[in-house]
Parts: sequence; C-alpha cells; structure tokens
Amino acid sequence: MEKTEKLEKPGKLEKSEISRLEEEGDLAADYLEVLLDIADLPGDIDIDVENGRAALAIEGGELAHLIGEEGEVLEALQELTRMAVQQNTGDRSRLMLDIEGFRDKKKSALRVLAQERAEEVKSTGESITLAPMNAFERKVIHDTIGELGLASESEGEEPNRCVVILPAS
Amino acid sequence: MIDEALEHLIKGIVDNPTEVAVAEKNGRRGLTYEVRVHPEDIGKVIGRNGRTAKALRTVASALARRPIRVDLLEADE
Repeated sequence: MEKTEKLEKPGKLEKSEISRLEEEGDLAADYLEVLLDIADLPGDIDIDVENGRAALAIEGGELAHLIGEEGEVLEALQELTRMAVQQNTGDRSRLMLDIEGFRDKKKSALRVLAQERAEEVKSTGESITLAPMNAFERKVIHDTIGELGLASESEGEEPNRCVVILPAS
Repeated sequence: MIDEALEHLIKGIVDNPTEVAVAEKNGRRGLTYEVRVHPEDIGKVIGRNGRTAKALRTVASALARRPIRVDLLEADE
C-alpha cells in the first residue's frame, strides 16, 4: 500500500538522498520529454526536490488536456512516470508531477475547504467526513488540519476514501 | 501519433521493451489500439486492479482528444 499520507519530516536531507531524488527527476523528465515530442506539444519541464520527493512541473500553455477535468489525466501520467522511474532505479518512486500549475491551484482551494470545515468541527465539537478524495487531495487536507491543531484520519477504500476531521479531545 | 506515444509509455515500464508492439485498428467499436507485450510483462501493464491499463487508456484518450480503446495482449497469442 502507498504511504503517501504519512507526514513528512521537514528538514535537511542527506546528500545521497538528494542526489537520488535528482536522478529520479532526470529519469522522469526524459520519459515525459519524449512523450511531449511524440505528441508535438510544447512544454518546459522544471525539476526540483520538494518535501523529500522529486517534483516535476510542466508548463506549456496548451496542456490542459493532459490534466483532465478533475486532474485524472495528470494522475494517470504521474502513475506511469513513477513506474518508469522505478523500472530504471529498482526503487519505488513517490515523485510528484504538476502540469500548468494545476496542483498548486487545487492545493489552495483544498486549504480553504479544510479551514472552513475545521472551524465547523471546532464550534460543534462533532467530526465531519469530507467527500471522497485522491491521495494528493487527502494529504493537503491532513496537513492543513494538522497545522490548525486538529486531528484527521482517512476512512474507506479507494476510490471512495474520505478524510474525517476529528474534534480536539 | 497515439501508437507511438503508447509504445513509448509502455516501453518505459516493462522488462522487455524490445517486445512491445502497438497496432492501430479502426473497427466497429471505434478506434482501438492493440498492444502486445512479452508474456512476463502482461501483469505489469495491467497493474493491480487494472490500474496501469486504466492509466494508459486515460493518457492515450487525452492525447487523442476522444475516448479510445486500448487492448493489452500477450505477444504470440
């Protein structure tokens, strides 16, 4: 099972870990760059290391169809890219892919949602179950709730896994 | 272009990339891509609960800008 929801410890990464993540980023960028070439789509790929993961961001201006209405194409492409990296390195990859800033925008909207619902839980003292979300979305919610001093957990099975915001005990 | 894109996406995730072949078929059920991989790789391209097969179809349909079928088969069938 994926452990994408566990909280990451911020702080300094070992040098060897950084170079491993940079290698992941390079392999992922190669895989994606050839795909863009084949599809004749313009796109610049930015490679970074963020929160202990390789992070790739593609900007091209004409890539909305590679995101999909709900980000489903982006998720699919990220999954395939992780597999391609793993095929090369032999290690499971947790790289994050973004296209045209979709995840950044989504993240802001989810943070607002988490804050609003957390206020509700604080004032009523009762837990709230949110709508089903994917792993990325749940992680944003868990992180925001944690920052607000409340606890949250995930319930149910994919694709109906939901975050439950718990009142302070 | 879709056949080439699928070939690239799949070659990157299998143990036997030289044995990946993609054929385009336009039949009654619309545009279909028949993908053949080495028998050892079939599990990989289908994935747990068909997750990888679904990802391939999602990306290929996005590139084609319309829904397409992707059939995954073992080579030498």
